[in-house]
Amino acid sequence: MSQSQGSHNPTSSRQKPSIVFGDKDNRQSSLISVFLRSARYEGRFLLHNSWDYVMLLWLPLLTILGTWWIFSKPYIVDVPIGVIDDSKSSYSRTLTRFLDTSPDLKVEQIFQNSADAQAAILDQQVYAVVIIPHDFSEQLNKGKPAPVVLKVNAQYGTHSGIVQKGVQTVVGTLSAGAEMKRLVKQGAHSEQAKVSYSPIGIERISLFNIGANYQQFLASTVIPALLHILAMVIGATTIGREIRDKTFSIWYHTMIYPDMPYPDFKTLKHVPPEQKLAALHANLHPSWQMPVDYQSLKQQTYRKDNQLTTTAFSLKDANYRYRLNLNKSAKPRMPTKVSILALVVGLNGKLIWALLFYMLWGGLMVMLAVTVHPASLTAMLMVFVAFVALMMVSLWLGAIFTLTSYSLRMGLSSTGFVSAPSFAFAGVTFPLMAMSEGAQRWANALPLTHYLKVHLSQLQMLAPTSVALPTLIGLIIAVAVTLVIAALLCLRAFKNPQRWGAR
Amino acid sequence: MSDLPNKDKKYSNDPHPSSKSNITHARFFDGFLGTLASIFKDKGVLLMLVIAPIIYGFFYPWPYRSEVVKEIPVGVVDYDRSELSKTITRYSDASPNLSVQPYASEQQALNAMYQDEIAGYLIIPSHLESDVYANKPAHVSVLGNNSYFLLNKQIQMGFTTAIGTVSAGVEIKRDVAKGAYFNNAEAGTQSVPLRIDPLFNRSEGYGAYVVPAVAILILQQTLLMGTALLIGTWYEKKQQNATILGWLGRILALGTVTFGMACFYYGWVFSFQNYPRGHNMLGSLLFMALYTPTVATLGCFLGMWFKERERSMQILIFSSLPMFFLSGYPWPVTQLPEPLQYVRWIFPSTSGMNASVQLNQMGASLTNVSSYIIHILALWAIAFILLNWIQYRQIKRQYHGR
Repeated sequence: MSQSQGSHNPTSSRQKPSIVFGDKDNRQSSLISVFLRSARYEGRFLLHNSWDYVMLLWLPLLTILGTWWIFSKPYIVDVPIGVIDDSKSSYSRTLTRFLDTSPDLKVEQIFQNSADAQAAILDQQVYAVVIIPHDFSEQLNKGKPAPVVLKVNAQYGTHSGIVQKGVQTVVGTLSAGAEMKRLVKQGAHSEQAKVSYSPIGIERISLFNIGANYQQFLASTVIPALLHILAMVIGATTIGREIRDKTFSIWYHTMIYPDMPYPDFKTLKHVPPEQKLAALHANLHPSWQMPVDYQSLKQQTYRKDNQLTTTAFSLKDANYRYRLNLNKSAKPRMPTKVSILALVVGLNGKLIWALLFYMLWGGLMVMLAVTVHPASLTAMLMVFVAFVALMMVSLWLGAIFTLTSYSLRMGLSSTGFVSAPSFAFAGVTFPLMAMSEGAQRWANALPLTHYLKVHLSQLQMLAPTSVALPTLIGLIIAVAVTLVIAALLCLRAFKNPQRWGAR
Repeated sequence: MSDLPNKDKKYSNDPHPSSKSNITHARFFDGFLGTLASIFKDKGVLLMLVIAPIIYGFFYPWPYRSEVVKEIPVGVVDYDRSELSKTITRYSDASPNLSVQPYASEQQALNAMYQDEIAGYLIIPSHLESDVYANKPAHVSVLGNNSYFLLNKQIQMGFTTAIGTVSAGVEIKRDVAKGAYFNNAEAGTQSVPLRIDPLFNRSEGYGAYVVPAVAILILQQTLLMGTALLIGTWYEKKQQNATILGWLGRILALGTVTFGMACFYYGWVFSFQNYPRGHNMLGSLLFMALYTPTVATLGCFLGMWFKERERSMQILIFSSLPMFFLSGYPWPVTQLPEPLQYVRWIFPSTSGMNASVQLNQMGASLTNVSSYIIHILALWAIAFILLNWIQYRQIKRQYHGR
């Protein structure tokens, strides 16, 4: 119990709170009530702070639908290219026509010289130029190789990849045709010629995402990456603003004292952060500002113990302890004991809205993904659970970042630093195995990398669930670990109230 | 609480009527020097505008150091176990793209793929050798995991080249056996060979493709957040208002700091990473000199709108990825739904990334990117009008005590 908190001069009391584990005496309410009060506290805040509400509803909704919409034409077609036809023969015209009919390409322009072509590439009118040499048809007629040159703007990597694939296919077809013609001319049967021109045929099969669907490849993996960023920001903000406004202990008190009124967030909304605490103290409900009747307290103690006691102010009732602390200053009123169990439950309550909303978004995301590529119910469930775990880890990580620095701004900076490029490290666009060892280690430390493994193996590769199970368990363990770390950091924050309010 | 209305007023942002037009920066140089001083005094702004771009200069290219994927682990399921199948396996393993592991069955190879141990596999059917030498149709199958586009492309290419070489060898042998000259036979294997000549990004490196564009996005985002952070902080302290000249001074100061960071990217990061660069350095710098004030102006507007120090980060951190995809750089513009083809012009990065890459990496001239320059100038004008409008509205509201 308190030593000096219930002292005669409550305003001067500033001792470090002691930490207890699941101490019921210190809590005035059950853990369920702590959870609900913390949730109501945050709910009331959200009702009056539209920007924070936007982070839960409109921004993620816009992000998901927007990303899905960006990739709504999921197969890249008709990349504009140019042709320089120096041959001007029927062969070269056939090649040009083949190029234009290829679904990948569109022959935008026939250039007369390379200077025009160069300018068009720099202007981004075309992304590649196919050069057909002047002796193209003669060489083919002679049965000699007639090389074609593809100059492609490799700076635009996606465009370049599609162009290369398209031109290769077209030229391959033309080449095979010419080859077979030659063999037939030499007296082979056409069927025989087919075998003969390429003794070992290659059947190319792209598994899982057969037609190179970018909605499936990019949109479905970018959406969880974006939600991961948003969730981390919410985690950082939700805890961070209490530290910034020095209202951290008010939140704690509100959730553990069932009769403490909730702050008036509507009024508080217009108060600058530095003045929030003082405003909160001043605006606290009058019943909490009433001087405590010490006489009656003494009597109570007397009656209970059935004997006279001198320790009239060693108050067992935490409510009274809190009320005695009547400073309306900008110094936070600190709890004398902080219960780690109450903190764990309270943190969950505070972030429950974010979690509920983002579970909804997770559901939407999985539904969208399976419209492109159907998956089994178990696979969907696995991905959903992994997603919820990812969201919880993100929320706790955000909280951890602010709590380690005691500053919302630093928390958000670190959040941005870690989460914004996490998609680049996740190994979807650029393979993990090609990264350096250090980069791989960083990638493996990011929760998104592991989530996307579950996502890809279950929703795209339709792998057996056993493949993703260890990763899923790992994510769930990460939830527990990050939650405990966040709660421990909250305890540390209670020990260092002088550091609150950093901007 | 509701029964204390006077307290409500006391803590609201309404200043006293006397302070209705508290202009902090009235003159151009006040704005310029005052802003520069604030940037370097405020740890948060300094971190955003200077430290973050420097750290990102190392951090973002980090995963792409190796540029081209080599030695991708792949499987070979050899049901033939002949000389020919062994040759195919050997040639595949010799390919710089691939590193081959044998698997006894297709199922085993598939399981290995599920575990991410391999990224694809080759199936050599039984009787391949006998079919080939009997002039019967024969084929092998390459199965790549297309959940990873880049890996699959490299695998298909690696196997195709290796098998093509073996196949050509068989064909030459066959032709020579028929009495053709070796040279003629060799030439006949491919009637229309294709020579691919990659321009600009000659090594076709992934980092060289992604990082130069993302670098501009990094500069934009840090400048937007840093500026909005600073103006938001000023708003809290009621120092946000300035005259038109004052704002111009502020914008120039903010733009100059990020312009310096752009020089760091153009001059150092790209050359350290050995990306193609510097083809039109003067043009790049000129463009950047227009780009950074535009972004700073937008940042000022956002700061006045958000009114709080930390808010800009909260709202903007996630926005880089959508901006990247809307720019037309990694995803072709023509693939975007039509409304989004207009929406993308809201962001300066759309012009910033394309123009910078065209000038610096491709060596385009300023005329090539003139439409982007016009966009940036127009965007600046719009942002500046918005900025002055929002300040006017806020002062008016304060004056009327609302």
